[in-house]
Amino acid sequence: MHIMEGFLPWQWCIVWWIIALPCLILGVYQLKKVLRADREALPLLGVTGGFIFILSSLKLPSVTGSCSHPTGTGLSTISFGPWITAVVCAIVLLFQSLFLAHGGLSVLGANIVSMGIVGPLVGYALYRLLRDTSVNIYITVFLVTALADMFTYVTTSLELALAYPAATGGFVSSFILFMGIFAVTQVPLVIVEGIVLALVFKYIVTLKPDILIRLKIFSEEKINAARSEI
Amino acid sequence: MSFKYSLEVLTVIVIVAFCAVFLYTSSTMNGAEFAGSDNVGSGLIAELSATPLENFHPLIPQWEPPSGEIESCLFALQAAFGGMLIGGVFGFWMGQKKKA
Repeated sequence: MHIMEGFLPWQWCIVWWIIALPCLILGVYQLKKVLRADREALPLLGVTGGFIFILSSLKLPSVTGSCSHPTGTGLSTISFGPWITAVVCAIVLLFQSLFLAHGGLSVLGANIVSMGIVGPLVGYALYRLLRDTSVNIYITVFLVTALADMFTYVTTSLELALAYPAATGGFVSSFILFMGIFAVTQVPLVIVEGIVLALVFKYIVTLKPDILIRLKIFSEEKINAARSEI
Repeated sequence: MSFKYSLEVLTVIVIVAFCAVFLYTSSTMNGAEFAGSDNVGSGLIAELSATPLENFHPLIPQWEPPSGEIESCLFALQAAFGGMLIGGVFGFWMGQKKKA
């Protein structure tokens, strides 16, 4: 999902930085508040953030004959919402742009917007929609994770299409071209990522159901139902 | 009592299927390089803007890993850090549960 350093005109770099910065500030503020309210949230943050570190370092092959990485933002989105997720993503993306030449400092804003903000925001909207329905929590985790990952790549395509509209067909036709590269490659990966994170969530539910209930991530009834279900 | 590990079984099936699809595409698809979609995307940018790929320069100077080995080392470090966090916390929770 990275836009490579130098491949985005500076005007667009500034636009995405301006969008990303307030979200990061809000995220840091929320993070402080959550941790002050409940120190038990810290281990949960460690696990959900750890998966962003691991999954975003795995470059997996896909059916299109190219490789791409999952984002791993689903668990963190469900547990802490999109703003705190954006902060964790910013740390990972900063590491990758400083040491791996994946992304870069000028395009960091754009990469944070796609991986840390829009993807998790769409996933979070779905989570809020499903949270109080009778939909099984593992299916919820699967769908939220898959959607957050998918929309990260849709956003990258959008960012690039805005900066590079095609000579004929303009924005729409170049958006379709970029979607062909980024989104299609991603389809098998989001399925695997969704199911793996659903399984991880099962272990969190088994080991530490009280923190999920205390942070009001899912209701007690749903957690208990999930524990007896699988 | 119902079967307790259906999610585990499903996960293994999906991962095996993913590997099978990869083996199939990598052996039948001609010209599949399995390059990163980041690079494929950059190629398309060069095409759309009619600027050769070499003409794109970093806006902010950037350190690049001198070789693929060093890059994979740093990627492994990133994953190891994530793994440490996860293993540590799950262990901590297991201990807490045992104590309770």
